[in-house]
Amino acid sequence: MADFLNSYSIQRWLELCPQGYLEDTVNGHEAGETEADLILKDDELRTAAIRSTVQLVVGERAALAASSGLVNLAPDYPSKHFLATQTLDEARHVEIFTERLYDLGVKRADLESTIDHFVNPHLVNFAEVLLEKIDSGDFIAGVVGQNIVLEGLAFTVFEMREITNRETNPKFAHTLAGTIADERRHVGFGENRIGSLIKEHPEKKPEVEQMQKDMAFHMLKTLQLSFKHNSETVEKEREAVGEVGAAYFHGIDLSTASSEETEAILANTILSEFKTRLARIGLEYQEPVGV
Amino acid sequence: MNDPNEQAVLSEVPRQTFELEECGFREVPKKWRKFYRHWEGPGDELGPNEIICPVCKVVIRSKREIRVGDRLYCMPCMSRMIVVLGEDGTLQTDVTY
Repeated sequence: MADFLNSYSIQRWLELCPQGYLEDTVNGHEAGETEADLILKDDELRTAAIRSTVQLVVGERAALAASSGLVNLAPDYPSKHFLATQTLDEARHVEIFTERLYDLGVKRADLESTIDHFVNPHLVNFAEVLLEKIDSGDFIAGVVGQNIVLEGLAFTVFEMREITNRETNPKFAHTLAGTIADERRHVGFGENRIGSLIKEHPEKKPEVEQMQKDMAFHMLKTLQLSFKHNSETVEKEREAVGEVGAAYFHGIDLSTASSEETEAILANTILSEFKTRLARIGLEYQEPVGV
Repeated sequence: MNDPNEQAVLSEVPRQTFELEECGFREVPKKWRKFYRHWEGPGDELGPNEIICPVCKVVIRSKREIRVGDRLYCMPCMSRMIVVLGEDGTLQTDVTY
């Protein structure tokens, strides 16, 4: 185990991340890049972009609180070191998505009120399930909730948004590409560290599986509400993406997919990934009820 | 390739080798970049020297043909894995914890 954890060192993080793919970036994108005119000049699209970016800020704030809490709960120093790097990654994500809100026209004085206005309440519930586990000192549940469930969700959402923004809004696509690269390490650590810990503590499985069930419930509610609020805007964004060509995500062309189809492919991809990841570490996916 | 004997025969055949070039993957230090590429989703056909990391979905590329029993390392997510034969006869990986 020690050998494996040595890969997640601070030195490796420095080489991969600040000295690697983030070198010469400004707030995660190339210097001089700006938000697409298409968004800035259309109030409906701009508001939709603010709404969706607020969810990213809230999700990343939860990830920041969770990963910093996990540093003190980790049972060994290599894990603490990795989680310290993850804490900085999450803080960076909060910062770059907050900067995007400013770029979209949110005034600094209005940041918190804007977040309160647009935040999806189900996303707050999702985060609360995770943070309760960390507050109670449960390292195993905390890492599963943070590095597998939350990061798994973020990984898929970022991946889809990066694809749809690649041609229409390169600045945001570049910002997302850096966060996706970070998420790869986070899910890798989650699976690798918990894969061995679950084997050592099989008695933790029912509790962790219940947490996953609760988080999956709130995640699906988050997506439902998000697409319900935005179905017309999603169609408008789809048209904009369609003008520059096909944008394939897991076999579906997002430039021609309806709002319902987009929600379905996103939810199915996230849940499928949950199931696969959980099975690999010895946990059984629990289907949420009432969604 | 589901037949173990077929696999045994294959293992006696010299492996194909490949010259690798960078494919735009910037998430690892420069000297390692040619060993990875982004996966473009279903429809993105893999070469005999390529396999998808099941953890982070990056395509891992080798200088030689990949075969059952090979041990691989994915630098972007730092997972270790062993190549196995999937139920559908394709090469897959088991992550080793």
